[in-house]
Amino acid sequence: MSMLKLAIQNARSGMRNYLSLIISLAFTILILCNFINLVDSGILDQLGESNARNIEVILQILSFVIGCFMFFFIWYATNVFLTKCKKEIGIYVFMGLSNQEIGKLYATEILFIGSAALINGLLFGILTSQLFTMILMRLSTISVEIYFDVSVRSLLMTVLIFVFIYGIFVIKGYLDIVHSSVLEMIAANRQNEAVKQNRWLLAGKALSGVILISTGCYFAIKDAGMEVVGNLLLAVVLVVTGIYFIFGGLIPLLFQSLAHNKKFLYKKERNLWINSIIFRMKKNYRTYAIVCILMLCAITALAFGIAMKNRYDNIVHFENTYTYQIMSDQAGYHREFHNLIEKQNEVSYQSEAEITMLHEQYISEKFTVPIAIIAYTDVKNIAQTTGLPFNIKEPKDGEYVELNRLYLMSLTNESIGSTQEINGISYTSVDQTTAPYLGYMQEDMDYMIVNDSTYQQLKLLGTSVYMYNYKISDPSRFERSEADIRSSSHCLGLVKVDPERAEISWIKILFSVSVFMFMVFILASGSILFMKIYNDSFEEQARYHILSKLGIDDDVIKRSITYELLLTFVMPLLAMSCISYFSIKAIGELMQTTLPFVNVISLAVIYVCFFLFYLLSRFLYIGNVKKAVNSMYD
Amino acid sequence: MENKKILEIKNLVKDYGTKGFRTKVLRGVSLDIYENDFIAIMGPSGSGKTTLLNILSTIDHATSGTIRLNGKDITHLKNKELSKIRKDKIGFIFQDYNLLDTMTLQDNIALPLSLHGTANTNCIAKTKEMAALFGLSTHLKKYPYQLSGGQKQRGAACRALITAPEIIFADEPTGALDSKSSRDLLECLKHANEEGKATIMMVTHDAFSASFAKEVYLLNDGMIKCKLTKGKDRKEFYDRIIDVQASIGSDFV
Repeated sequence: MSMLKLAIQNARSGMRNYLSLIISLAFTILILCNFINLVDSGILDQLGESNARNIEVILQILSFVIGCFMFFFIWYATNVFLTKCKKEIGIYVFMGLSNQEIGKLYATEILFIGSAALINGLLFGILTSQLFTMILMRLSTISVEIYFDVSVRSLLMTVLIFVFIYGIFVIKGYLDIVHSSVLEMIAANRQNEAVKQNRWLLAGKALSGVILISTGCYFAIKDAGMEVVGNLLLAVVLVVTGIYFIFGGLIPLLFQSLAHNKKFLYKKERNLWINSIIFRMKKNYRTYAIVCILMLCAITALAFGIAMKNRYDNIVHFENTYTYQIMSDQAGYHREFHNLIEKQNEVSYQSEAEITMLHEQYISEKFTVPIAIIAYTDVKNIAQTTGLPFNIKEPKDGEYVELNRLYLMSLTNESIGSTQEINGISYTSVDQTTAPYLGYMQEDMDYMIVNDSTYQQLKLLGTSVYMYNYKISDPSRFERSEADIRSSSHCLGLVKVDPERAEISWIKILFSVSVFMFMVFILASGSILFMKIYNDSFEEQARYHILSKLGIDDDVIKRSITYELLLTFVMPLLAMSCISYFSIKAIGELMQTTLPFVNVISLAVIYVCFFLFYLLSRFLYIGNVKKAVNSMYD
Repeated sequence: MENKKILEIKNLVKDYGTKGFRTKVLRGVSLDIYENDFIAIMGPSGSGKTTLLNILSTIDHATSGTIRLNGKDITHLKNKELSKIRKDKIGFIFQDYNLLDTMTLQDNIALPLSLHGTANTNCIAKTKEMAALFGLSTHLKKYPYQLSGGQKQRGAACRALITAPEIIFADEPTGALDSKSSRDLLECLKHANEEGKATIMMVTHDAFSASFAKEVYLLNDGMIKCKLTKGKDRKEFYDRIIDVQASIGSDFV
């Protein structure tokens, strides 16, 4: 048999084992291909230059992230493959094959698997490109004309990226085999010999893990706004290292302690599955840690996307509080403007207020946006007429309440307690609100709500403007009343809000992209765990064969497998669930929002996905073990 | 008073192969095993001794004939019922030990009891008792890879005996052991038979091992050729076994 035939035969027989690897790789290739293709396709040009450019940048960054992820995923998968192959190909040594020949055999075999993933990924990438764009745009609620367009450049780019990364690891594996000794290859076939680990070492690792994770979580949530970004890298490094220590220290220590307590251990199947977990732990803890980290990435990506979307929706809602905002120099024209609007449209609600823009010379610090003041009673009246919530206490003399805009991502911290000096008198911020009392006009200016008497005093230091706000029942007809309003001599300025305005609609793409990232990460983490368990099941065959010879029931074996696999899935899930609270809280702090709902929902999705992976793993695991049991009767 | 009959084997036949190309491995073996017996089955290679042991231990099925365990016919039971019999009534000692490498010797020995649902305090006490009996008390915390072949096999014997099964089947238990370890194990089995009233059926090709049994059956061409009963002296019994082996003349490996 030629080497090529042998490699083909090996790859074919191993195909089932590596199906999940091929599917995950193909899915990653599909996403990468579609991202690159979407940038190339020209579909985004319909969104206007600014939006298209922003989306392109996001997709390029994400393609880079997926590329990096692909790098680590292939690294991991080829390592698992290499270890398994080393065990099998150790046998070839005795058939007189040289290391180079075995290396070539490995490289050929793994190339087949890589090719299968690449071909499938590209094929499905091409087939689903239109669907992908459609789902992406639908999820993002962006309406563009979608057509089938696959660029050769995007395909070539995908192939190049994949082949480059894959090639590195094929060569690495080849060199690894060529330079390894015969003894090493045979030793790879041996079982893990040292089962229990030193308890003090484990305790040390466990303590380090807990300290690292706690510190990481503390840094993640300790500040809001800008500081979160500063602390984020440190928090990520600490948490990732901590997770490795938890799985390499705390969990083995916990199970070793359980196994040490024989009163606990000698209860039905516990003796089997607890020992089995301890046995696997030393070899598998890195896998559990990777799975946990990937799930955290998934949940964080999703939370970020949802938070951005929520914030975007709020901003849109904020901007659309009023359809028209008319500036005038005098009070008492609200009826006139109302009548002008009513010629073409129906007014739903309206409000009016006097605002005073302070002259710069009276303000101690220079600000990028002008400062305006508004009287407390005016704001209260606006809330009453518009139905907006109002729970602000009237500020005392020397105090003010900040009336802010909604930021997509605020990099400033809470400013309650800060002071503002106007004309030599200091005013302290006692509260802040982002309720859109002044609608779009709140976007470009910082407002201070002061009590009525203070307002009357400060009014003299600036220019007063009267603002008449109207919301019409059908905002899409906003252009119809424009001419009528402008016809009034009292209209000094008009802001009209287009409900379809899409200046920042590119943000919406972040949400759908984060959903895809979430899927990629979850699929990858589930596949990694699945691959590990599936490989382990072959090793377990011999043990279950022994148990069967001893007369241990199928039911007992199944129960033991169920507990073992359940814990294998639950351990990273639990660790991830605890840490996810902090990662999502950090995102919440960054976005200055609360995301517990996102946390619960994304956890629920992950739990459902993992339950399916668990069922599949259990099914195949028991199937494999049964083969060993049944072989006894053959 | 005669001891209780544990195993009753009548006309056991086992064929292998397809129609027209059948090979008879067992050609009508009949044998009774009583409580507290220690029987060795010897025979040249291909005589059918392992096949007989596999059938008796319910791992293989006979072509015809009956096996009664405690009076109950177990020849046609389903796999699930056979598993239950193996778990509740039979103990095994295999040539290659078959200890689970995932757990300590103590956990290996306790495994059948704990799976049986025995109270944990009993499991612990019984494990320690068995380990003391087989000289393994200082090795309980070790994993199989840390034990010598003899220690592993004694551990396997402890595991087989811990549930106090009706009968122990030992398949070439000394096959992979050096002479010192073999003697230690056989002494332990003898002790378990004499003091612990265990019933043991051992398959071996080794006359030395067989001489520890009370009775030796010599199997050839799928049939029992003769039965030897031990006198007072093991050495004399060993010589007799060697003589019979020589008279049969086949290759006893």
